[in-house]
Amino acid sequence: MKALILVGGFGTRLRPLTLSVPKPLVDFANKPMILHQIEALKAIGVNEVVLAINYQPEIMLNFLKGFEAKLGIKITCSQETEPLGTAGPLALARDKLLDDSGEPFFVLNSDVISEYPLKEMIQFHKAHGGEASIMVTKVDEPSKYGVVIMEESTGQVEKFVEKPKIFVGNKINAGIYLLNPSVLDRIQLRPTSIEKEVFPKIAAEKQLFAMVLPGFWMDIGQPRDYITGLRLYLDSIRKKSSEKLATGPHIVGNVLVDETAKIGEGCLIGPDVAIGPGCVVESGVRLSRCTVMRGVRIKKHACISSSIIGWHSTVGQWARVENMTILGEDVHVGDEIYSNGGVVLPHKEIKSSILKPEIVM
Amino acid sequence: MENSGEMEKVVAVIMVGGPTKGTRFRPLSFNTPKPLFPLAGQPMVHHPISACKRIPNLAQIFLIGFYDEKEFALYVSSISNELRVPVRYLKEDKPHGSAGGLYHFRNLIMEDGPSHIFLLNCDVCCNFPLPDMLEAHKRYGGMGTMLVVKVSAESANQFGTLVSDPVTNELLHYTEKPETFVSDLINCGVYIFTPDIFSAIEDVSNDREDRVTANLRRLSSIDISTSTRTNIPTDFVRLDQDILSPLSGKKQLYTYETMDYWEQIKTPGISLKCSGLYLAQFRLTSPHLLASGDGTRSATVVGDVFVHPSAKVHPTAKIGPNVSISANVRVGPGVRLISCIILDDVELEDNAIVINSIVGWKSSLGRWSRVQADGDYNSKLGITILGESVVVEQEVVVVNSIVLPNKILNVSVQDEIIL
Repeated sequence: MKALILVGGFGTRLRPLTLSVPKPLVDFANKPMILHQIEALKAIGVNEVVLAINYQPEIMLNFLKGFEAKLGIKITCSQETEPLGTAGPLALARDKLLDDSGEPFFVLNSDVISEYPLKEMIQFHKAHGGEASIMVTKVDEPSKYGVVIMEESTGQVEKFVEKPKIFVGNKINAGIYLLNPSVLDRIQLRPTSIEKEVFPKIAAEKQLFAMVLPGFWMDIGQPRDYITGLRLYLDSIRKKSSEKLATGPHIVGNVLVDETAKIGEGCLIGPDVAIGPGCVVESGVRLSRCTVMRGVRIKKHACISSSIIGWHSTVGQWARVENMTILGEDVHVGDEIYSNGGVVLPHKEIKSSILKPEIVM
Repeated sequence: MENSGEMEKVVAVIMVGGPTKGTRFRPLSFNTPKPLFPLAGQPMVHHPISACKRIPNLAQIFLIGFYDEKEFALYVSSISNELRVPVRYLKEDKPHGSAGGLYHFRNLIMEDGPSHIFLLNCDVCCNFPLPDMLEAHKRYGGMGTMLVVKVSAESANQFGTLVSDPVTNELLHYTEKPETFVSDLINCGVYIFTPDIFSAIEDVSNDREDRVTANLRRLSSIDISTSTRTNIPTDFVRLDQDILSPLSGKKQLYTYETMDYWEQIKTPGISLKCSGLYLAQFRLTSPHLLASGDGTRSATVVGDVFVHPSAKVHPTAKIGPNVSISANVRVGPGVRLISCIILDDVELEDNAIVINSIVGWKSSLGRWSRVQADGDYNSKLGITILGESVVVEQEVVVVNSIVLPNKILNVSVQDEIIL
């Protein structure tokens, strides 16, 4: 089986983290975002993944080379030279996706994190016998998204309503598709939208079916949602494989700690914290609702909440980092500094407090 | 004649004001008289009092104010014992103005027959060079000598500004809080007088009484309250407007300029600055009062820090510079204190941080809580002030705020006054 992951462009919404690496390589819960998807695909028997990418493909491929062997999966790139929307990349990757098997292939959006119930999706797809399956998820504020109107018992999609002003439904396109190869015949090689141009036609022919995604779903393309996404992800780990989560008197709620990270005495960690490889958390540190990426050092008595600490950064003694502070790679926050919502670009030293949310160039 | 210098006795009078004064010192003046608010671990009034101790032949120290006697009783008795000089609190039945208050108690002040009387305002912070002033005053040969200091031209109009003769140091001109720029020399609120000051005050008082009587005659058929003159009681005499201004340029008043620090302790914010100035002075005059430590057996201490002997500070804490910790405070593990005053009975739990703030009596700061400010002493919210018995819960951040007594903060606040 094959799969296409829509990676897209610069990942500007996740800056300053994406100033250091392409968005799919930004760590989420201690591994690059795209690995969550590749591993889920591998687990249900996908053996070839195509990345639809238009920015820095060589960095991606270099990085993923190691995983090809480790996971036993073939990874290739399909590079857009111009933006092709959400459907165009499928046409571009047509030759890579088509083979003699006639099997359907997956299409995943790389910004989305969920429990990836791909096995269930295959069963659903086989059961309804239509041309295409999409996952939908319930959201609180459907007006921000494209709402999918479907027949509740069979899942047959009737139509799509883009950003509805009045309530028409609360299930939205979750960005996970399983498509028969014939769908590729419906897509031209030009900038085109799968939600607006391709799916409505399949729906009109009663060939499009939607499955409600069990478990959580989050578009983690921006920092606030990234932090929320981590909470949902760790909740799901707690239910499915709680042995992966840290335990002990200094742990509160769901906490993921890489085995190579060191944690000092008198700390209080959690809930909803991920501490990456090689991190050093000194004594008396408080961490909650935050991600601490690879190689970070948190010095004594510091307190971090609702923030992302980028790779190889340091947070000084008695520093306070909170309220959607995002530290890019190699940022150094001085002793006793307070950052309230500071968004700091890579390789900076913070010597005076940031009292109100601001961007530090 | 040679012995006369030794025989001459000196007394000191410190004006402490009363509860209706010092409203700018809220919320810290709600239940402690401002003169007893600790700076560098000692009550505000302690600093002028201990400066008086350096005056030769000091016979007595009087505190004059309109606070209740019992507010000062404990302090006055303990400081008398400590200094071995009688310190008495004299309560005015009502405010008389600083000159009027002095005059009101003239018999008590003069009972030892002093040759000189120091008059100090309690709410100024300086190094009180009293023996030097006494020497200068004797050289000038006038009735009074006042301590003066140069300040920036922009700030001079907030004070009593004056012009003095560059050669003789005579006070030539005095005006209180002028609208336009007069001079950058200002009155420090520290004076020395000969007993002739009492006749000068009496003259003002008599003059006023005459005018009141005259007015009453003239206004017999008109409502008296329409006359502003009659609103000032005859025994209310201000030192600045009623004595210094009229007597300037008459070879009776002289100035002594200090080149050292001087501040008026108007607000809680300024008091934090003054606490630091006094701590720095302790470094020179009484280093035994300052704490030290390197984090092995006792907490790490940076710069000038006062820790009351009854306070318990965990060895993993780091304190200073400019920190003053009062009685029965408990400083938990990993606490960080920078530029702050921690008042009696405060509890600071593990890893709490206080920067540029004053933490009121019996307050408590939860684990990883943070209380801080920009440290601009002159701006309204430049120093964070927690009133008495304020609770800052675990991990809560309080920035550039004033919190009135008995509040519980369970969410972070910034740039706010919490009633």
